[in-house]
Amino acid sequence: MITQTLALLVDAYRELCAKKLFWITMGLSGLVVLAFAMVGINEQGITLLWFQLPAEAFGARMTSETLPPGLLYRFMFSSLAVPIWLSWVAVILGLVSTAGMIPDLIQGGTIEAVLSRPIGRVRLLLTKFVGGLLFMALQVGVFSALVFIVIGLRGGSWAPEVFLAVPIVVAMFSYLFAVCVLLGLLTRSTVAALLLTMLFWMVVFVVNTGDNIAVSMHEQIKADLRLQQSRLERMERNATQAILAERNEQRAEQGLEPLAEIRPTDDDLIARDPRIPSRRDTIRSAQSSERLASRWRQGIYIGKSVFPKTQETIGLLERWTVDREALAQLGIMPEDDDKMLAQRQGQQATAEALHARSLWWVLGTSFVFMAVVLGVSAVIFQRRDF
Amino acid sequence: MSDMVVSVQNLEKRYGGMGRKVHALRGVTMDVPRGSIFGLLGPNGAGKSTLVKILITAVKRSGGGGTVLGRPIGNKDALRKVGYLPEHHNLPKHLTGRQVIEFFGAMSNMPRAERKRRADELLDLVKMRDWHKKKVGGYSKGMRQRIGIAQALVSDPDLVILDEPTDGVDPAGRRDIRVMLQRMRDDGRTVFINSHLLGELELVCDTVAIMHKGNVVSMGTIEQLTRGMQRYEVEVDRPDPMSLVETIVQRAPRASEGDAPSRTRVLATGETIEARENRLFVGTTDAQAIQPVLDAIRAKGGVIKEVRTHRPSLEDLFMQAVEQDDSPGAARGKDGGRP
Repeated sequence: MITQTLALLVDAYRELCAKKLFWITMGLSGLVVLAFAMVGINEQGITLLWFQLPAEAFGARMTSETLPPGLLYRFMFSSLAVPIWLSWVAVILGLVSTAGMIPDLIQGGTIEAVLSRPIGRVRLLLTKFVGGLLFMALQVGVFSALVFIVIGLRGGSWAPEVFLAVPIVVAMFSYLFAVCVLLGLLTRSTVAALLLTMLFWMVVFVVNTGDNIAVSMHEQIKADLRLQQSRLERMERNATQAILAERNEQRAEQGLEPLAEIRPTDDDLIARDPRIPSRRDTIRSAQSSERLASRWRQGIYIGKSVFPKTQETIGLLERWTVDREALAQLGIMPEDDDKMLAQRQGQQATAEALHARSLWWVLGTSFVFMAVVLGVSAVIFQRRDF
Repeated sequence: MSDMVVSVQNLEKRYGGMGRKVHALRGVTMDVPRGSIFGLLGPNGAGKSTLVKILITAVKRSGGGGTVLGRPIGNKDALRKVGYLPEHHNLPKHLTGRQVIEFFGAMSNMPRAERKRRADELLDLVKMRDWHKKKVGGYSKGMRQRIGIAQALVSDPDLVILDEPTDGVDPAGRRDIRVMLQRMRDDGRTVFINSHLLGELELVCDTVAIMHKGNVVSMGTIEQLTRGMQRYEVEVDRPDPMSLVETIVQRAPRASEGDAPSRTRVLATGETIEARENRLFVGTTDAQAIQPVLDAIRAKGGVIKEVRTHRPSLEDLFMQAVEQDDSPGAARGKDGGRP
């Protein structure tokens, strides 16, 4: 059994090595890391090869004193390499390289020769699937190793956490590759499998964007509601104090002791500040909006649970490798602005809500999706006549 | 151990679903004797490939059953001792000839050292030693076929199933393959060949089965199948040789209603006689029985140019079996073989 599995994996590796695209992908990874290494930082600011950029070129003042080189490279890794290269380009190249694995396997003249050997169909399919994942692991592994060396040599500190990119990107790729395997099995066409997988990824992206918008809107409405409520409380407090001051003035004229506190009626408050009813209407309206937004958010969240969490999975890399507080202290991450308090609170709450999503929800439900898709593929592969 | 390496009974296969059903196998029963070269013949769509694919588990049967090497079809231990070369095979182009052989050896769970040793032997057998380091993608059709045969033999199989093994191979290559097949038989293997190249099969097969429209319409050794069909052929110097023997021709054989008029007559001694151009065909292998015919020809002044025994070819057998199955009196199914 091990002999067969190893033979299939070695064959998958040889097949990929024989493809020009594999070497193009490796070359591109090398170029990205090279570009990564070209950037530096010194006491005057950011450097690009031998060119010196001003310290304030990117808004905040960045020199080797405010931003140590090691942190610069980590920041570049998390804000450029992860969201652009590893999240999109590397995965697309990976899909292009591996989309033909199943259609090639099941084409006439190939599959019969393999099935005539004493190997189970499910194991054959799953081994091919693992072969595709190994390609991705190899690609990301090489990239991470190069980044690790660049951070170590250029940044002066070693960052083994960049190797977390390997399991995380492979996990994210596995969701899409499972879909690609199923589509390759159904259509028997590399191009169709690739294009339909891309379409599926786009749907996942749209659902994810919808979820982000729903969470963001809900948190923004909640922040606005809190702001309106605090304003109402302030208005009622001011009105109460004004009424108290007026009563104590009257009591002083009557020679009575001043009151420490007072419980004015609603009519008294409104008489004192006529804006209070409209503020209450605004709050009621905001509460209604908040309930509606909450229902939408919940609905999209439940709907999204059945989809693989591609962006959240990649987001784990940022969650686990980037010290956001350290960056915020250095002025790289903008801090809260008092003038835009509610907006900032909403944004912060959105980020916190998204980051607070459990590992089980992000990875667990995605792996369940992948297992279901692979299971369907296995059933089809098991029952099909070739 | 059974003397039959393949034995199937009432094997059925239906393809397709609603509205597109194809009945590819209609209860095939067949036995393949051990240590023989067995030829499976049939026109396109007869169900040959479907039958072979059921034996190697690429296609699931719809009914019936059978054994391969004494075990139920699909048994993994039996598959370990089966070698298979698909028709229009598509060997991995990214591998070298040696790697292909070793890959399929590994798929049969062979240890690494044994795979290497076997690959060396087979590269010599199929005369590909000089090309073993080249990628299969750069091979000619004949070279790919040789490597295909080598991969089928890598696990030292007891049963070798070859689907159109000489397809696309030049005459010299075909001769080499024939020698290889005979050597496999001499080594004690059973070779199961699926082909429509009747001339090739005739040269090597011990036993044949003819399939047509999902049925086995004829099966046996070539000797058995041609028994009663051998005859004498007499070539004379006239275009109407039947007129030379009319004195000894007794009657026309009984014809079924609706049959086309037969060219065959019956001699007074009971043998059939048929004229084609300047030849007479006498349905006997007994030399004594044709003497009256030769005497009658001479008596009429005819000149006998050649007398020889005529043994029907595999093509004759094939055409006869297929034509009989297609004749109006033959049982017909609702649908044909797989297109």
